Amino acid sequence: MALLYGLLWRLLLVLVHINRALVAWLRVRLRSWKGRLWERAMAGLLLPVALAGFPDHQKKLNQNPDANANPMTGNRTAGRRPRWLSDGKSLEKLPVHIGLLVTEEEPSYTDIANLVVWCMAVGISYVSVYDHHGIFRKNNSRLLEEIVRQQQDLLGADGSKYNVEFLSNGSDKHQHHVVSCSPTVKVLSPEDGKQSIVQAAQQLCRSVENKERSSKDISVSMLDVLLRESKNVPDPELVVKFGPVDSTLGFLPWHIRLTEFISLPSHRNVSYEDLLGVLQRFGSCHQRLGQ
Amino acid sequence: MRKRSSSLKATVESPNMSWIREGELNLLEKISANILKAGPMPKHVAFIMDGNRRFARKKNMERQEGHMQGFNKLAETLRWCKHLNIREVTVYAFSIENFKRTQNEVDGLMELARQKFEKLLDERENLEKHGVCIRVLGDLNMLPLDLQQLIAKAVVSTKAHNKCFLNVCFAYTSRYEITNAVREMAWGVEQGLIKASDVSEPLLSECLYSNKSPNPDLLIRTSGEVRLSDFLLWQTSHSCLVFQSVLWPEYSFWNLCEAILQYQLNHTSIQKARDLHREHQAAQQLEADRACAAELLQHRGNGKPADAQRRQEALLHYTTRREERIQDFLEALKHKRDSFIHDLWSDAVSA
Repeated sequence: MALLYGLLWRLLLVLVHINRALVAWLRVRLRSWKGRLWERAMAGLLLPVALAGFPDHQKKLNQNPDANANPMTGNRTAGRRPRWLSDGKSLEKLPVHIGLLVTEEEPSYTDIANLVVWCMAVGISYVSVYDHHGIFRKNNSRLLEEIVRQQQDLLGADGSKYNVEFLSNGSDKHQHHVVSCSPTVKVLSPEDGKQSIVQAAQQLCRSVENKERSSKDISVSMLDVLLRESKNVPDPELVVKFGPVDSTLGFLPWHIRLTEFISLPSHRNVSYEDLLGVLQRFGSCHQRLGQ
Repeated sequence: MRKRSSSLKATVESPNMSWIREGELNLLEKISANILKAGPMPKHVAFIMDGNRRFARKKNMERQEGHMQGFNKLAETLRWCKHLNIREVTVYAFSIENFKRTQNEVDGLMELARQKFEKLLDERENLEKHGVCIRVLGDLNMLPLDLQQLIAKAVVSTKAHNKCFLNVCFAYTSRYEITNAVREMAWGVEQGLIKASDVSEPLLSECLYSNKSPNPDLLIRTSGEVRLSDFLLWQTSHSCLVFQSVLWPEYSFWNLCEAILQYQLNHTSIQKARDLHREHQAAQQLEADRACAAELLQHRGNGKPADAQRRQEALLHYTTRREERIQDFLEALKHKRDSFIHDLWSDAVSA
């Protein structure tokens, strides 16, 4: 009997996997179909532009952002930035701080860089990137380079206005690559999570050890100030989780008290429309704060 | 015994449903349960039982009635969990933030809690039969004294049971819990039991209200909200999070099965992440011990360089000492917490 149940369980799992794959496939098909429809409509309206290579704009944007040699790039980017900004403005609310949580094993720098640039382009001030292996943290500079490159590719000359500040509050404090003040990109690793709470606790205990304060004085806000660092970065209102694992995998436990979690199947080949969809979903959420 | 406003009493006077539901699963449920049990099962599940008020609004009933139905659903869910071999359940009953609700609703919820804990005491024998241990996580000091005493009675009378565990988070938020753990460690420093350098991730976990439980494997939130709302932030950092759109009073056995299936799909990758985290944690502790031992050695040796063997001995010595300190501290903390509950209980019994 146990054998039969085991078999049935395996069958169930296989069915769920097939179902998931089917849904993902349908979603991609639907999107490309919708995209084509939209493009056709646009092509009908703006025939001259369409003739100059507009129909495959979306594909270029997603799959080969490096294909920059084409002389149309200047024209394309010039129009897109205002569109992004107006997308940002048209949303009911926009997070001030967004977290990008990657649960997949193999991170793609280009796709994350794209996401970061889009987030900044719609007007989000703080973007945190996290993976639980700390891969992005280890390859901090590679991600930065990629972001700068994508920024130029996607935003064109306009992008130079949007400088990137790299913050990482781990041990490598001296390697900050600070370019300008806003917007800010933070690369986080598990050390910024529980470990930073432990460090704050140690700091408070040390001050108790030195008789500077009593244990009774320790309060939530005291700990919060310590964990908020010198910069007054707000808690992330939204975390977009990429990949098949339904867990925060150690993402800033203290800071995600009221954070909305929205999942996307993968960060690979993610499109701007995917991100916009998530932001729209976030925009329609209302929090009651215990009320 | 106590005097309460009669209007309040009237609103909560619906059938007094019990904590324990007897009864088997039906055939289809049983088969499904057995299929699921062939895979890895969560041992500890946490619930954010959201949607009671929306349910009441939807059904045009009193808000308090929605909360009542929510409690009944909890009893039913516990029965399902028992049949699914889930021995530990943690629920978010009342957040510190909930004190901000209207006085009327807060009073109503306190009254419901009083009633339920009284009911629990009536059912003592049944709880014993099923071996249910009830724990309440949160700052009891924020509650009315009579409720504190009732809770103390419930906790004391079930504390020896060890077949299944129900943790009720009451007057709880996770940030408050973490802060309280820091406060307890600072108390240990004040008492000279530990040093500030002994503070570590495992020690902090031991000082949380939830120190007696393993971390939840699965966290379920109902009613379509996709956030943790200050619930078990520390404990769920490697848990499977499942957000379901059903309102809590409408939660069904099949919803629970769906969540468990999702846990099973996640199981391998989350387990891997947990192992990685554990390794990382052990490495960190070793490094910290090494640094402290080296500092001590240098201090004693007047700055003379020590050879590898002496360093190793010093490290071993230091580690043993640290573990002893932590053990003593945890014992003292346990004693402090137990006697708090015990004092409340004995006041209640003698009153």
